[in-house]
This record gives sequence, structure tokens and C-alpha cells, in this order.
Amino acid sequence: MSARLTPPQRAPAPGEAMALSALFTRLDDLVAWSRKHSLWPFNFGLSCCYVEMATALTPVYDQARFGAEVIRSTPRQADLLIVSGTVFHKMAVPLKRLYEQMREPRWVISMGACANSGGMYDVYPVVQGVDSFLPVDVYVPGCPPRPEQLMDALVLLQQKIAAERRPLGITLGGFQPGPTEPRPFDPVPRRDRLQPERAAATRLADPEST
Amino acid sequence: MSLDAALPGDPVADLRARFGPRILAVQETAEDFPVLWVAPEAAVEVHRFLREEIAQPFALLADLWCIDEAGRTHRTGQPASGVTVCTHLVSLGRNADIRLKIACDAEAPAMPTLTGVYPNADWYEREAFDMFGVRFEGRTHHRRILMSPLWDGHPLRKSHYARATERPPFRMTDAHFDATEAAMQPDPEGWGHPLARDGHELMVLNFGPHHPSTHGVFRIVLGLDGEEVIWAEPDIGYHHRGAEKMAERQTWHGFIPYTDRIDYLGGVIHELPYLMAVERLCGITVPPRAQCIRVMLSEFYRILSHLLFYGTMAQDTGAMSPVFYMFTDRERIHRIMETITGGRMHPAFFRIGGVAMDLPTGWDRLVRDILEWLPPRMDEYERMVLKSELFRIRTQGIAAYDTATALEWGTTGPQLRATGCDWDLRKRRPYSGYEQYDFDVPIGLHGDCFDRTWVRAEEIRQSLRIIRQCLDNMPGGPVKADHPLTTPPPRGAMLQDIETLIHHFLAVSHGTVVPAGEATGQVEGHRGVTQYAIVSDGGTESHRTRIRTPSFAHLQMIPKVAPGLTVADLVVYIAAIDFVMSDVDR
Repeated sequence: MSARLTPPQRAPAPGEAMALSALFTRLDDLVAWSRKHSLWPFNFGLSCCYVEMATALTPVYDQARFGAEVIRSTPRQADLLIVSGTVFHKMAVPLKRLYEQMREPRWVISMGACANSGGMYDVYPVVQGVDSFLPVDVYVPGCPPRPEQLMDALVLLQQKIAAERRPLGITLGGFQPGPTEPRPFDPVPRRDRLQPERAAATRLADPEST
Repeated sequence: MSLDAALPGDPVADLRARFGPRILAVQETAEDFPVLWVAPEAAVEVHRFLREEIAQPFALLADLWCIDEAGRTHRTGQPASGVTVCTHLVSLGRNADIRLKIACDAEAPAMPTLTGVYPNADWYEREAFDMFGVRFEGRTHHRRILMSPLWDGHPLRKSHYARATERPPFRMTDAHFDATEAAMQPDPEGWGHPLARDGHELMVLNFGPHHPSTHGVFRIVLGLDGEEVIWAEPDIGYHHRGAEKMAERQTWHGFIPYTDRIDYLGGVIHELPYLMAVERLCGITVPPRAQCIRVMLSEFYRILSHLLFYGTMAQDTGAMSPVFYMFTDRERIHRIMETITGGRMHPAFFRIGGVAMDLPTGWDRLVRDILEWLPPRMDEYERMVLKSELFRIRTQGIAAYDTATALEWGTTGPQLRATGCDWDLRKRRPYSGYEQYDFDVPIGLHGDCFDRTWVRAEEIRQSLRIIRQCLDNMPGGPVKADHPLTTPPPRGAMLQDIETLIHHFLAVSHGTVVPAGEATGQVEGHRGVTQYAIVSDGGTESHRTRIRTPSFAHLQMIPKVAPGLTVADLVVYIAAIDFVMSDVDR
């Protein structure tokens, strides 16, 4: 989906005026497009990677080009959690709490080797990968990843969000909201549905076998 | 403070005369300061003598740590010990150090507390308890400091597992979540803080571990009367990454990348003290060109870190623009670092006996460009930040302390120099050839947040002076020492003679074997005195690597300085400390 604004050169003919001022699209597409271009990252940093994450916001890299420069300091206003750095044992519970305080829809980028898998730090106080307790949308390799790599991840995430279908109305066979109950996301995103199973996985498929 | 009084006597002789047989032994080491074993019952008296009674006293407790002696074979001449508690004292007047060791039992290690002599022993003792289970008699509490209160065991004991993968994978169960949150609830009464002042109930504010102005995962619990801070209780350990345990597993060479990440804004700065200690044990002399490259890169990273401080300091007082300008300058320097080392933040460029490779063709042009670029920018920043009336109002007279207080709490680096104390290891104990450079040590006057900012801004200019001299006088010759333990050995020699090839093969397949012994490397880091104390047992990895980081000491001082500040001023004070949590928790 794309839109282009052109300044009127002359008074448009009837019919043409409508084509210039009206946009025909599906509501789902419009919502996905808006979400894609208005990510509000959470101002959250764990360690080294946070410095590169902050660098991505500064003029040389200018993350604002991707519509994702509005850094929010409270999780309640943010929808993108970038886990930038080592997930420490003592920090895991506060991190989980912060994630839960973010409102849906919310996305998670796991930035750097430590957040992906523990990286260099297979050592007692480090959780071996944030995906053991949070669902991750995009993994960024590197120690630390360059700001360009984080932007690459942002673009990947945008593509994913643009393709995401979250029905806005009531779906067939879905949950019927009662008068007081809050409406859950319906259907549950595949990422969230598979998270417990993925977190519990200890053996990955042999890459040679596929 | 006068640092140039008459030369005092030998502290070892003074101690022997005073304490006789309670000085158990003088240990032979490769160090250039004495290492003494002290009877546990005399520990407090000996420390008090050195701090209060001796001429030109040892005012600074730089570090206190433990060594688990289990499995250590090379201990000739040392008294029997299960867990050894070490203290490292510094006398500024003498420009000399002394290290004391106290032997403890392996099963139930205990010794008297030193907090009555050195107040900053408090956090170090908590760390010793947390990591080794050492109990300090006379303390009011033994609370963990780095690990979660629910942690089981003392991680730096040799009996404790090292790898996370030796245990079942981490599971975030509801029970774990609830128990951890309950254990982390603020407990002012348990910490010994009042809940009211003059009949007003205090507001207890939990600040962190996630907060934009704590510069990392750091938590302080505040007792507030209105906006005024009555008490502050810092809680650290959210960034504990087990680097010291890592050193006992990685080869001597393989630990170098981890030193970069001890202070992730310091780049190569932490590599230097570690390698100075290893090279001292190996007896390696680093060739002049390698020394000069080391100095030049260290100064570049000092500028990088100070620029980030300068920008965030301005940001925390409410000025948004400077940090954006300064980050563009950081990018310019990062590009040079990348050309020379291949890395941005974590170059891992220094090697045992030199540096990884020679400077690339055209490095001088890049360095010359930045030397022309930065000084006018620094003038502009001075107009933007230091001369701004708003910045002055927010920082002058805020969180000020004097030299004696700074030393009492183990403060070093720019914060100590901001109090007017002329203490910079690059001048006082030149290493890596710093004695050949012409530079000044900026010192402040008031010891407040403004002076701390000014000192660092001025240090950027001095670092540029040093880099200019590196550029103009870069020596020729090899970038690695001609020594069998240089790792990896010079490639040309490795291809030519069998002796070097054997060492190369051993180092790569087995790991470099560093001679048994103890050695220390100290540098003036961008935040203060950074010290690596290593113990080799003649193996391919260290028996113990102790990393003394300046930020740990600086955070311990917060409860002393914070009372009386408003919350907004506390944020400025925290910014002016200029810490990163990796440098605190390691």
C-alpha cells in the first residue's frame, strides 16, 4: 500500500477531486500500515548494546527515518521492547514485569548475542537467551550489533507488522466480549501461542536433517 | 593537600616494629609494593595503624577482595589459608601501596570487620560475603550485594559451578516471579532507615532498576520528605555478569575480549591493566611502538567516554541538543577506531606483549583530521554547556564534597581531581610510556557537579594533546615483544624458527602458560583507578582475577552525599558520577 500527495496545479475536475482526497483500502491494511510506521520503542537498556541502540537514534544514523524515534520512558506508552544487552538473572523478573506493563500490540527485538543466547557469557548469573521467557519477533546478531544492524531489524519488524492480520471486528467462532470483560486479542498471535513450547525446547532440529 | 613532604620510612619496618610476630610473613611477589600476611586478630589494629598513626598514612582503601585457595599448588612461603581476604591500601603522600592478606578458614571463613577503620570497606565486605561467604564479625548485617537475595551459594568459591549451562535452563515460573518480587520490596526498617522526620511520614520512592536517569540497571530506594532526599539506599547487582569467574575459565589470551566489556564505554582502557599484570608475571617488556599505540588508543577511548558523559550530563540537566552533536563526534572517532582495530566499542586489540597488528596505511591522516576537527567543537560545547547559565545553576554547589571525604569513600579519577587533589596515575606512576608525554592534569576547586564536568571537558583537550604527540612521534619498530610468551607470536618469526612455532602451537592448541605468581596492573582509567590483581597457578588460565573498578566505590558514596539534595539534583549528581553499571557489577 502506498500513498502520494501532490499539490493541486489546477482546479480538479469532478471525480478527479475524489481520487485525490479519498483513499480506498481495507481497514486491516490501514491499521497495519499505521502501526508499522509509528513504533514507539521503550527506553530500556541492559548493557553494551544499549549504547549502540542509542547511537542509532542520533543524527548520523537517524532512526527517525523509520518512524521509530519516539523513545518512551514508561512501558505503558511503548509498543516495542528492544532487549539490548545481557539478560542478568537478577534483572529477569523486572524485565518480565516491564514487558507485562506494555500494552498490546507489542513487539520484542532481541538485540545482540547475549540477549539471543547468552553469547560470550555462559556463566552463572546470565539467562541463556531472553526467549526463555519473552516471545521474540526479531533477533539481531552481533556483539554489539552495529546501529545499521538494528535498523535492519527494525525494517524486518516493520515488514512483519505490515503483514500481520489482527481482525478488528468480531471473528467467526471467536470470543464474544461480555459487558465487563476486557476483550483479549483474538485470535491469539501465533508467537504468543507457541511461546511456552519454544521456551521449553532444549533440543533444536539438526540443521543437516532438513 | 601536600604530596611532596619528606620521604617517610619503610612501612614494613614500622609494622614489624609495632606488631612483631602478628605480622606473619612478607610474601615474595612480582609486585613493586609489599604484600604482608597479618594475623586475623590483629587485622583491625594494623589497618588502623596504617590509616591513622603512621606518618603519611594510607588514606585510601582501594580494594578488598578474596582468593579461594582451594586447588592452588604454588603457595611457597605463604601461611596456610582456605580463603584469603586481601586489602589494597594506597598512600597518596608516599605515592606507594601496600597489600595485606588475612588467612581464613575454608569451611566457615570469618574475620573482624574493617568498617570501623575504612567506611568504604562496607560494600567490599558485602561483596566478599556474597561471593565467598566470608563473615565479618561486628557487622550489623550480611546482605547479598551482587546476587539476588534468593541465590543459593557463593559463586566465586571454587566449589560453585561456573557455567549457566551446567544447570537446568532458566524457567520463569510464577513462583520464581512472585518470590523474587517479594524479596525485592523496599524494606526501610530492615535497612535501618527512618520512616518519618519531625512527625512527617516519609515517602519511600523506588527509583529503578529501570529508569532513564539511572544510566543503566541500577536501583536506589529513596526516603523523601517532599522533594528532599532524607536517605538513599542503592541496590546494585542487576548487571552482574560474572567476569571474575569467567577469567578462571578463559585462557590468558581469551580473557582480553571480556575486559573490554567490564566497562563497555572504555574500549581498550581495561585491556591495559590486565595485560600489564600478565606481562609483569611473564617478564615481558613491550616495545615502544606498541606502547605508543596503546597510549593513543586509550586516549581516544577516554575522549569517547568523556564525550558521552558530557552529552548525557547536559541532557540530565535539561539540555537536549549537546548530546546529539557529541554523538556525531563520537561517530567520527569510532570510524578511526574501526579503521585501526576493526571494532567499534569492543576492539580487543591489545595482546600479551604488544598489540594485534600494526597501524594501517593512512592512519596518520585520519588522526590528523580529527585533531583539527575536535578543538573548535570543544569550544562550541563549552559555550553550549559549561557557560550556560542554566547549567551553572543546576550544577554549581550541588553534591559537593572535599578531598578527605572523597578518599574516605575510595573515590578516584575525575571526581577526586574535582575536589582539588592532583592525583593521576599517568603522572604519579607513569606506565606504558606516559612519562614521555607533555600534558596537564586538570584539577577542580569545589568538588561539585560543575567542577566534575569541567575536569572531564578539560581532560578531553589534554587527551587530544597526548594524541598529537603520539602522531608526531610514533616510534618505528615491532608492535609485539620478542619474547616466547608473546601471544600470538610475531607471524614472521613463527614461520621462520622452530622455537616460536612451538610456542605458537602450544598457545593455540593448549593455551599460554603464565608463570605462577601474583601481579597487579593499575591504570588511570577514564573513571578512576582501574586495577587488575591476578593470581597465576602456573596454568593456562588464572586462579583468580580481581577487577577493581572505580564506579563500585563511587556508587557506595551515594547514601553519604544524597541526603539534603532534591530528587532533581540527585539525578544531576548521578550523572556527574559518570558510571556504567558493568563497571560497578562486573
